[in-house]
Amino acid sequence: MKTLKALVGVLASAALLGSALAVKPASAKDIVLRMAVPDWPPTRIMKDLADKHYKAPSGNNVVLEPDFIPWPDYYTRLAASLTSGEQKYQMAVSDSQWLGANIEGGYYMKINDFIDADPELQAVFKDLHPALVAAYSTYPHITAAELAEVGFPHPDANYYGFPQMPDVLITYYRTDLFCHEGERAAFQEKYGKALPCAPEEMNDVDWDLVANIGEFFQRSAGEMLAGETLDDDFYGIAYQAGKGYDFSSMEINGFVWQHGGNIWDETMAPDGQAEGVVNSPEAVEAFEHYLSLLQYMPPVVKTGTMDIFKVDELFREGKVAWILQWIGFAESAISAEMSKVHDRVGFAMHPGLRMADGTIDRTANIGGQPFVLTTWNSDEVIKEALDFVKWWLSSDVQTMFAQAGGQSGLMSVHGAPDYASYRPWNHAFGPSLKWQKDVWHIPEFFELLVQQQEEFDKAITGQKSAKEALDTIASFQQELLTEAGHIE
Amino acid sequence: MATQAQAATPGGLGQQLREHFSNWRLALVIAILAIPGSVALFPLETAFWVSFGAVILITATVVTRAWGRRPGPLLVAPALATLFVMNIFPLLWSLGLSFFHFRANRMSPPRFAGLDYFEKVISDPNVWDRLQTTAIVVVLTVGIQLIVGFLLALMFEREFPGRRILLMLVLTPMMLSFVAVGAFFRYYYEPTFGLLSQAVRLVTGEPYILLASPEGAIAGIVFADAWMWSPFVMLLVLAGLVSVPKYLYEAAEIDRASWWRRFRTITLPYIRGLLLLALLFRTIEAFKLFDVVFLITEGGPGTSTETIAVYLYRVSFQYFKTAESSALAYILIFIVIVLTNLYLYFVQQREKDEEAPA
Repeated sequence: MKTLKALVGVLASAALLGSALAVKPASAKDIVLRMAVPDWPPTRIMKDLADKHYKAPSGNNVVLEPDFIPWPDYYTRLAASLTSGEQKYQMAVSDSQWLGANIEGGYYMKINDFIDADPELQAVFKDLHPALVAAYSTYPHITAAELAEVGFPHPDANYYGFPQMPDVLITYYRTDLFCHEGERAAFQEKYGKALPCAPEEMNDVDWDLVANIGEFFQRSAGEMLAGETLDDDFYGIAYQAGKGYDFSSMEINGFVWQHGGNIWDETMAPDGQAEGVVNSPEAVEAFEHYLSLLQYMPPVVKTGTMDIFKVDELFREGKVAWILQWIGFAESAISAEMSKVHDRVGFAMHPGLRMADGTIDRTANIGGQPFVLTTWNSDEVIKEALDFVKWWLSSDVQTMFAQAGGQSGLMSVHGAPDYASYRPWNHAFGPSLKWQKDVWHIPEFFELLVQQQEEFDKAITGQKSAKEALDTIASFQQELLTEAGHIE
Repeated sequence: MATQAQAATPGGLGQQLREHFSNWRLALVIAILAIPGSVALFPLETAFWVSFGAVILITATVVTRAWGRRPGPLLVAPALATLFVMNIFPLLWSLGLSFFHFRANRMSPPRFAGLDYFEKVISDPNVWDRLQTTAIVVVLTVGIQLIVGFLLALMFEREFPGRRILLMLVLTPMMLSFVAVGAFFRYYYEPTFGLLSQAVRLVTGEPYILLASPEGAIAGIVFADAWMWSPFVMLLVLAGLVSVPKYLYEAAEIDRASWWRRFRTITLPYIRGLLLLALLFRTIEAFKLFDVVFLITEGGPGTSTETIAVYLYRVSFQYFKTAESSALAYILIFIVIVLTNLYLYFVQQREKDEEAPA
């Protein structure tokens, strides 16, 4: 009898304990944050980290559910979902250029009020590099220089996005070629300059040296390269020069800024003109400079289909010595399964134009994507989403993201001494940020871009001169922007 | 009518129910009052559900009335309803949009624009430029498809060893997806890795860059499209060739008719209808050519291979000028309808001409 009582007692207390453990906090809810994301490593890593480490501070069961969409379809699929009114996503990764169209459309949520009410979010924004806040978050666009000067929060800024994967253009090069003794000697003899080998040397490369590199490494089948006979043609350099999406503007803009020219500047609206700016002598000179380097690139450049994917492929297939590419592609360049040159790749900053004082102006177009909240979320979902954002942009998580192959826009993270040791290209990321500017964010972005890409392509494929192309672009932009009220 | 109905469904209760629920005229009146009324009075979402309810009511009464009396129309109705909801209604909707200021990526409501967008599209030099490109591509690709398809059909008409396997291989391109064909030809023409360039380089020693010039790029597009669709023409022509009675050829042989004469007087009349059908199908399809162009050249170099379909895509899904793109799409439909009717007119004209002497 005693044992029975004891047994009952044990069972009862076990049941009680069990039920106490099983019962969730009274308010715990299942909340799904569905997010439209392009399918590539930075978003896969985000999902992985969220699954393993994210616990909502509210006690709710919050699950990040990314909808992985292939890159080529991404714009169309996201635009279709937003415009159809299906309200499927609570958050979305967005190219910074789409901000205007989707904010004016009423799809992306302004977060100023939430920032004002939340010191933690303010801390996040203060720690983000101003170039990223400018490109990814502000609309109407405010330049990084102005944000840096005024500090956070900027009284006139409307804030929207947070960095998902900040990206910059950097140099990828073949260490086996650039550090080869014989090649170095031959280069020194031919040009009277040293062939850069270490990343520090490569960081000091200007466009003149790039032209030398391009010419030097252009070899035909049968010639020698780094002590071996080539069985196929080999090329010196490659950068994006494709007609699709933004695959030439992203590089040409950098040239234009470095030469002291400008694209149509949305921050100057409504006084800033397109005519006379877009086709200014500096811009023409810059575009001619860009075109002059195409002769050292693989022949596909003549077809206007050398997009970032082709540049990536040519490099991984070992057809080219030196390329400019987004940092986001670096992982595949050193992957043994995907790259024939995976064990011989070096990384450095984007080159630039040598100034009179000997420094290099390496102003370039920023890449990467912010993610935003959509406008149709309930207060509860907004709160959970912002909690998720704060978790995502916390130092620990950003460090984990960077260790797994992503990049962090937090100055405290990418400025940390260890950062460069996570991945071989990380040393080029932080110092590049101050050189980044962005293309337009206005709703008419796509019309401006498509026409510009077509005209650039005509110049790239030799149907037009640089000046003719820029003149056509300038007059088109002047008309369109005047009609849209951006120029008065 | 009443006796028929009674005969079909004997019994009191069912009959009574039917009397009550088959009053489709009343339902129609309710709907006509309720739909505009709810649009005027309620918020949009409520109005939608009220209208939806009214439509369901009409459907229910019509179905109840037709139940057992008109089984044929009732069986076809679901298909027609699906067609209407999924196809005809959106088509009419987009026609409506072309008369309004409307962008699908803005939440602002449409404003009436009349024929503004039609005027804009017709006076847009870009549209005329893209139409010219399209015309060049259509004429070249359809011409080549007809010739190659016809020759292939002549080849496959007779029996020879391995015919079945070869036929299957020749038909493969037609069954591939556009994306696969586009990706394949992009690599095929690629100057560094591509087969074409490698082959030419064996002879010239230089990589061959077909897509560098506007003419080359058009040739590349036309070749890819013709490669894909010549087998389709072949299939149609082959069907015509097989249907020619053997005895006609035997008789011609006895008469010692020449090959050309046999072809002209026996073969051609049998296959002409099918050949014209192939011409019609391929012209319509080529007019809408999008996938292959977008994948191989993206319309480049410059805009030299940008067909009207690619341009339409840009206007509607990149610029999101929904109204303008709808107007353009309807102008294109109009062009296709005119072309089709011209074709039908010529076919009938010829048939009349042939009948007249007989």
